[in-house]
Amino acid sequence: MSEFIQETEMAQEALLEASMVERPEKNQPLGPMFWICVGWLALNIIGAIFANVLPVQNPLNQDYNFINSGPSLHHIFGTDDLGRDIFARIVYGSRVSIAVGAGSMVIGFGIGAPLGMLAAYRRGRFDTFVTTVMYVFLAFPAIIAVIAVLSFWTPRSMLKIIVVIGFASVPLVYRVIRTATLAIATKDYVIAAKVQGATDRRILMKELLPNIAPIGISFLLIGVATVVTLEGALAFLGLSVNPPTPSWGNMINESRTILAENPWLVLFPSLALCLFLLCLNFIGDRVRSHFDVTEVKL
Amino acid sequence: MTDTTQPLLKVRDLTVTFGKGHHAVSAVAGISFDIFEGETLGLVGESGCGKSTTGKALMKIVEPSSGTIELEGVDITNQKGRSLRNIRTRMQMIFQDPISSLNPRRRVKDIVAEPLDCWKTVEGDERDVLISDLLNKVGIDPAVYGNRYARQFSGGQCQRISIARSLAMRPKMLICDEMVSALDVSVQAQILNLLEDLKNEYGLTLLFIAHDLAVVKNVSDRVAVMYLGKICEIGPSDVLYEAPAHPYTKFLLGAALEADPDSPVHGDVLEGEPPSPMNPPSGCRFRTRCPFAQERCANEEPLLRDVAPGHQVACHFPLTIQSSAVA
Amino acid sequence: MNPDKLLVVKDLATTFNTSAGPLPAVGGVSFDLNKNETLGIVGESGSGKTVLARTIMGLQPRTNVTVTGSVLLNGHEMVGVSEAEKRKYWGTEVAMVFQDPMTSLNPVMRIGKQIDETLRVRLGMSKDAAKARAIELLELVGIPSPEQRYGAFPGQLSGGMRQRVVIATALACSPKLLMADEPTTGLDVTIQAQILNLLEDLKEQFHMSVVLITHDLGVVATRTSRIVVMYAGRVVEIGTTREVFTNHRMPYTRALLESSPKVSNPSHTRLVTIPGRPPNLLKLSLGCSFAPRCAYATNQCHQQRPELQSAEEPGHSFACWNPLPSKREAATQ
Repeated sequence: MSEFIQETEMAQEALLEASMVERPEKNQPLGPMFWICVGWLALNIIGAIFANVLPVQNPLNQDYNFINSGPSLHHIFGTDDLGRDIFARIVYGSRVSIAVGAGSMVIGFGIGAPLGMLAAYRRGRFDTFVTTVMYVFLAFPAIIAVIAVLSFWTPRSMLKIIVVIGFASVPLVYRVIRTATLAIATKDYVIAAKVQGATDRRILMKELLPNIAPIGISFLLIGVATVVTLEGALAFLGLSVNPPTPSWGNMINESRTILAENPWLVLFPSLALCLFLLCLNFIGDRVRSHFDVTEVKL
Repeated sequence: MTDTTQPLLKVRDLTVTFGKGHHAVSAVAGISFDIFEGETLGLVGESGCGKSTTGKALMKIVEPSSGTIELEGVDITNQKGRSLRNIRTRMQMIFQDPISSLNPRRRVKDIVAEPLDCWKTVEGDERDVLISDLLNKVGIDPAVYGNRYARQFSGGQCQRISIARSLAMRPKMLICDEMVSALDVSVQAQILNLLEDLKNEYGLTLLFIAHDLAVVKNVSDRVAVMYLGKICEIGPSDVLYEAPAHPYTKFLLGAALEADPDSPVHGDVLEGEPPSPMNPPSGCRFRTRCPFAQERCANEEPLLRDVAPGHQVACHFPLTIQSSAVA
Repeated sequence: MNPDKLLVVKDLATTFNTSAGPLPAVGGVSFDLNKNETLGIVGESGSGKTVLARTIMGLQPRTNVTVTGSVLLNGHEMVGVSEAEKRKYWGTEVAMVFQDPMTSLNPVMRIGKQIDETLRVRLGMSKDAAKARAIELLELVGIPSPEQRYGAFPGQLSGGMRQRVVIATALACSPKLLMADEPTTGLDVTIQAQILNLLEDLKEQFHMSVVLITHDLGVVATRTSRIVVMYAGRVVEIGTTREVFTNHRMPYTRALLESSPKVSNPSHTRLVTIPGRPPNLLKLSLGCSFAPRCAYATNQCHQQRPELQSAEEPGHSFACWNPLPSKREAATQ
């Protein structure tokens, strides 16, 4: 006799039993928190894109009157040890984070997702071959590979970083999408579609893709979050964009040596990074549960 | 019911084997039967007997390992690719789990129209009329429910939608793979009646695969009983149920739980478990559980032979002959 | 409390607080169970029979569920008491066999160990004593070569065997009441017969009462002495099995009986169907839940919910304003 009672499971069962007539068509509500997070992300993105025309100071401008100063009227987040405005550097720094995050995911998903779907649907030799290759790559720590490549592939540029991280993420994306597709590809409705004479392409687009999309999008968002963090780590190792270009990661890196005198240089970029990641993760999770049609909502 | 024309579906020595070498499992180990146009053949048996695999092999969802399948005189056993797709419209299947046979993210109208859209046979208004017509026929009001998503429906309704979808291309034959097993009794009754009506209206031929003996009898003209990949007995349903010739059929009927407090309790219960399909007994596969088994049963595999017109049995000592010998 | 009554359920109601509103999965159920009796609870999906079974066991979730009423198990109240209190009776007074043996057995634990666990935790047996008893139990439930099977994983056994293991686990501490929720659904017909026979034998051996919960009328027809018919969370008819099958008064019972296909019917018999669909428990009407689908419904049926009333035979009750005529009355007239 199990002491552990599945509370939601039992209640879910009852709800399922009860609503055998009509399943209530109400997706899990997104909630106000969701929109707040979307708003924050949007703010970051707009800031990144329109930084030039926004009333933000020049991030490279060194104001010798305000070295290592805390927040003030002139510099709302304070300045770093070269007198550069932290707020401006955060806004411009978001460009790096967002570009690297989005760009590498475009590559990762652009290559990994179609391969994963195709492999899971087709199975056979194609699947075995590609999966083996991918798993070999997965076995190798991606971070080390990224570090190694970026160390040697100089001069560094944002594009190179995007490309390297992008390709490094392909095996993981492949695995996630392939697993998700496997779960669906054996369902009766896919077999039914085949049996009706649908072409493979039609099945991939109409039956598989809509069902994979929620997981895919959720993973995409979490992937962006991971990559953004990775960029921060790379910056710590001095492998991100070259100074004086600001990025959240290299701002935190720079703050290491002057932590005692200038806590603001570590505080604000960290805060920006944390909030950005929190929002991404939250949105990713909400999207997943909103579109999860198999969960019965309590 | 004498039908002297060619059968609609002719299956000869069909085998389906999974795996290779030592781990090979022959789920279907050489079966032959015919289905004539307009009839319903019930295929009954317990888990592991190969009835579902047979259905899937006929639909070419799994590949037959050997044997032939002829549909309307055309050998479809080895068809692949484009030619297979063309045949797909003649034979359709309805699955056991009504919920997972429909894409939860698609609307009912689109699901039912899917075959039409694949083949682009009708378009525009004609298409819409056809879809509404189909949905009405299965008891789903297209105006109210047509635009709803498949996930919003109950099991019985999903099964109705599946039926509508399968009829869109007017197939000649419908394979029903445990289609009412997951439904409640009252819903099951509705679906079975619906199936009967549609069969008559569309002139369908059915292969009804199920494990529930009462349901199979209700629906079928003839019934085939399978055990461990082989057909034990095949004959008209009334005859088979009244006077089964194969001992396994008799045990199966004896174990059937009738909703009648006066029904004979505890007929001889079949003891033991079915042997593993990986290592089937030699000769007659049922001999390990058969109280009438003799040496011949271990040495020689019984083949299907007539015990009465239209009634065949694969047994060296069929019950009808035993009892008539005693009498 | 009457010492012959093993279980007394009074006005038991289970309501789930869902985001769509309160869901009365079980609404006011009362019945009792005698010692050494087999009771069948019959109903379709949405009837509330599984929720009822779990509520009786005391397996309700702690949050979002409201349970009212009383369940007296051998004199012990199971409603509104703490889990520690209920745990005293789980396994020792009452045990449950669930439908899917694969999910009620831990797939990564050997079956012997799963039975052992109960014996050692609840009865405080030593390791060796527990193992010996476990093997005894496996033999009792008809598992061949129990010493070897002791070390098997559930995945290595067939469905029927697994269900036997589940039964063995349930019986480990010799409970007085065995609740079997769809114990044979999904199993082959021949195995079903074996398992049901086994349950009957064990009932005799252990002097237990058994509650058989199922949607399959065939399962209850010859193996229960009384049955309870449920619809939309309520009891609509209760009585001896024979009486309910042959002299039922509630139209739903008749409809249920008539819509089951029978082996004895000729081929192509048109089945009697119940029009419409089971009610949405979130939006129950004030009247009888079956009224919208009932051929005999009157105005009163739609407006007022019928309570259980007694029929001639003692112990037979039904909830209907416009019941079917009693066959007994007809016989005497």
